Amino acid sequence: MRVRIAGFGRSERFAGIADVMLSSVRDNGRMSIAPSERTALSEETVTERPWVTLVWNDPINLMSYVTYVFMTYFKFDRAKAELLMLDVHEKGRATVSNGTREAMEIDVAAMHSYGLWATLQKDD
Amino acid sequence: MPDAFYRTGSGRTVIRLDDVEKSLLRSLSAQVIEFVAPDDAGDARDPLAIMIGIDDEATAPVDPALARLLPDAYQDDDDAAMDFRRFTERSLRETKAAHARTVGEVLERSGEKVTLSDQEQASWLGFLNDGRLAIGTRIGLTDDNHAEIAALPDEDARAGLLDFYDWLTYLQESLVQLHLDDLS
Repeated sequence: MRVRIAGFGRSERFAGIADVMLSSVRDNGRMSIAPSERTALSEETVTERPWVTLVWNDPINLMSYVTYVFMTYFKFDRAKAELLMLDVHEKGRATVSNGTREAMEIDVAAMHSYGLWATLQKDD
Repeated sequence: MPDAFYRTGSGRTVIRLDDVEKSLLRSLSAQVIEFVAPDDAGDARDPLAIMIGIDDEATAPVDPALARLLPDAYQDDDDAAMDFRRFTERSLRETKAAHARTVGEVLERSGEKVTLSDQEQASWLGFLNDGRLAIGTRIGLTDDNHAEIAALPDEDARAGLLDFYDWLTYLQESLVQLHLDDLS
């Protein structure tokens, strides 16, 4: 089964999302290179873990601040963080992570603590 | 206009604020704490509502400003959203109140030149964003009505709040840029 990731036209834009906060928590602050719980590039993994975190556009959050949050929390490089930020701004939302429901709840709670408007849902 | 926040030669992060600016931010800090801190004592009057005379009878989930600070985690599943709230909202409220408290403490330091630790900067970023979210939502700011609100007569509280909001935006943008430079 091919699962479309909302907001991502090409899988390579998605590749770096694996290395995110949970890995750095597990490894006591050091970023992990090993696949994290959010690595969902294989069809099997996506089928098992069909949850995504969406960040939604709003008229108040600064584009620079959204980029900063994506770089700080998800450890994206600036180019990826800006692409996602522009997706939020122009398309109204972007998928910023995927994985288990529990992992997505952690991501959503983190986005809320930064003041970003985020939700989780099963991938559609 | 010079940057609000800047780095000294030795790498310290500094902001210059005069007494009026400090007192405005102290006031916002106190109001954000009142607004978001977990409420164990019943129905305290909402000071942000008092500030612009809005009916504060609305309960937390109904108040758009509070709803924006404490959003639903699920769009189409009210039960899951309530469960998520039960488990996370208190901690989210405490985080936001702690940011505001830290900013309040920093503002108690004497002098116009205030130096911020890394942790204090993180609190300032969160606080400035929360303050803008609350005020922006309260004055009904959208993607395209900024000029309309700015043109309101002085008697309309929204015009003055928009000025304050714009200043907070300027402060936040300045601090975010320093951090983006650090990360890049």
